[in-house]
Amino acid sequence: MTATAAPVRAAPRQVPRVAPRNMTRLVWMELRRNTMPVVLPLIAVLFWFDSYRIAATMPPLWVERLYYILGQGHALVDFAPFVAGVAAWMGSRDGRRGMTDLVTATVRPRWEAQLATCAATVVCAVGSYLVVMAVTLGLLGRSIAWGGPPWWSVGAGAVGVAAFTSAGFALGAYFPGRFIAPVAAFGALFAMGTSSQIGFSSSGGWALILPTMSNGNFDKDAGLFYPFLPDVQIARVMFAAGVAVAAAGLLGLPASAGGPRLRRSAAVVTAAGVAAAVTAVALASTAQVGPNGAVIPALHDAASDRPILYTPVCGQAGIPVCVHPAYRSYLPDAQTALRPVVQELTGLPGAPVRATQVAAVFQAGPPPLTGPPTAAQLQVETIGSPPVLHLTLNAIALPGSFGMNTSGFIGQIRLQFVHAFVGAGGGSGNPAQQIVQAALLQDAGIPLAAQPNVLGQSPWALPSRGRGGGVAASYPRPISVAASRFAALPAAARHAWLAAHLAALRSGRVTLAQLP
Amino acid sequence: MTAAGVHQSAPGAAPAQAASPGQAWLRLAWLYLVSRRVPGALALLAGFGLLLWAALFWHWNVAGGAAAAMVIPLIVEAGAAAVIAVTTYGPFGEPERATGRWLPYLRLGTAVALTAAAVGALAGGATGGTLPEGFLAMFRNVAGITAVGLLSAAVLGGMLAWAGPMAYLVITETMLAGGRTSPWVWPTKPPHDLGAALCASLVFAVGAVAVTLRGARDSARQ
Repeated sequence: MTATAAPVRAAPRQVPRVAPRNMTRLVWMELRRNTMPVVLPLIAVLFWFDSYRIAATMPPLWVERLYYILGQGHALVDFAPFVAGVAAWMGSRDGRRGMTDLVTATVRPRWEAQLATCAATVVCAVGSYLVVMAVTLGLLGRSIAWGGPPWWSVGAGAVGVAAFTSAGFALGAYFPGRFIAPVAAFGALFAMGTSSQIGFSSSGGWALILPTMSNGNFDKDAGLFYPFLPDVQIARVMFAAGVAVAAAGLLGLPASAGGPRLRRSAAVVTAAGVAAAVTAVALASTAQVGPNGAVIPALHDAASDRPILYTPVCGQAGIPVCVHPAYRSYLPDAQTALRPVVQELTGLPGAPVRATQVAAVFQAGPPPLTGPPTAAQLQVETIGSPPVLHLTLNAIALPGSFGMNTSGFIGQIRLQFVHAFVGAGGGSGNPAQQIVQAALLQDAGIPLAAQPNVLGQSPWALPSRGRGGGVAASYPRPISVAASRFAALPAAARHAWLAAHLAALRSGRVTLAQLP
Repeated sequence: MTAAGVHQSAPGAAPAQAASPGQAWLRLAWLYLVSRRVPGALALLAGFGLLLWAALFWHWNVAGGAAAAMVIPLIVEAGAAAVIAVTTYGPFGEPERATGRWLPYLRLGTAVALTAAAVGALAGGATGGTLPEGFLAMFRNVAGITAVGLLSAAVLGGMLAWAGPMAYLVITETMLAGGRTSPWVWPTKPPHDLGAALCASLVFAVGAVAVTLRGARDSARQ
């Protein structure tokens, strides 16, 4: 019998799909042999020390507790250097061991094999980030009574980890050697440090793409009175995904990566990644800071602007005081703060009959000391008939955050009330308004000497008269002398003067000579 | 036929030249340094010196308090320490340890010499402007953080030895940002603080002993 006489074997009806299964097996193999798990306990300990420990001491609101971790991007600062370093080590493996020629000659294209290693490294890094974030949100959320976490920010962090991993891997693949891991790690830390610097000092524009930038998008009453706006986070996801995809595509560009068709595909993938990243930066630069946060017109969904419904929690401080349910634990402080001021002003025309909390709104940049007032500065006011005091509790630091204590918090609420009452509006007020405000605050328990500090933490800081500008450390002498004199008046005399001159005081028509 | 019974060179083979003990030792040291990529490390240390010079000359700074003021010099110091730490691992593993009688001396000498080179490179870089906390603090920080790297090489392995200095840097920045100090986190202390200097010296001694006696840990994942 010869081969020509052998019966022809029927072709299988369906060719088995080998490639995807092989890719899955490759990724699984790389997952088991990956270096990333070795460094994960260290990242977890550092995350606890650098991020969680500090976040756990913040006030029990999602926007406050996650401000440091997600708003200022410390979760990414903790993860990025380590995942970039380990990914660079994994990416440099073949080159470091002198096996590049050997693996290039195998049946699978080199790009495919590298993508398997890269994918396994990304899965390890992103998976560990998500596990750490899940545990963190679970632990931090135990004492938070209202609202939910900003999921888009969590997602943006995860894609950011993927971007650093992918970029580190590409760096390792292109420059194999033992020093590439520390260079990638310290380069990532340097990048995050620079990003923090830009994030702290910028108020908007393209810098919103940076994961460490909280200004204008992760602050105030986001997630409480109105949802966390996802616009900036969507742009960040787009940017980080673009970087990750471009880095993965770069692996397929060298001649050793595969055939011409494969390399053309890699070039397309790289170009798509770069295009996504550049588009994201361009979108971020079109952002405008609105009352609820940064809005990117091309990405904005009007549904995100709908206020979140809630039933206020109320108490008594001579007048009813109502706060958002998320601020329930601060209601006693608000009552303590308002009670002495209410006692001073009861019966005067325009004295509020109720105090209610309103949402703190965003503004671009710090409050100006001179010039026209911003919307945030004008927010605290007594309006309507009968008048209602609008309080913005999260426009100031809550106790336990950023060095604020309960006494300082109470002082800020008192200042909000008195400032609104004298009608000083968005600035620090005219001299007569400043004098009456200072006297009323002194009678409510804040000494004159301590008031410039209280004012300095508010949107109505006293402008310095010095050459350097900035915030004044004390009242000008004429103001402090007149305020002391006004505060020393008997309560009945003060009350009578205010009843007679309040309308003129509020409209800014009272001169220093008219003060008692 | 096997090689078992052969006791002399093949006819015509050139006789091996006997080297003097000094030459042999120098050759051994050079081979050791090359196997640890020390020339590359020296180039990188010089690069860190240049980076520090550029940062001081062009006044790169991060706005904020003590943590921000120290961040660039600390990244440079920790980066130099990380480079020294990753030179500890060798590619030969067990055979080298079994046969290398001079290995502990070579490890110690290399670590100390590279630390000195790092201090020298960064001192050169410091001429670009005013180094925050001055030379003494830089010397203490580099020596101490290098020791952290040597210890992490002994514990985690040479491939991840850079993770120790990186972690120490993150801890330092967190403590500086929180206004907290500890002699064990010496960059948070002033340059003339005796406790911080003693802690850095102690850690350097422990790190040097660990890397001298044990070397970098080998890992199957390398």
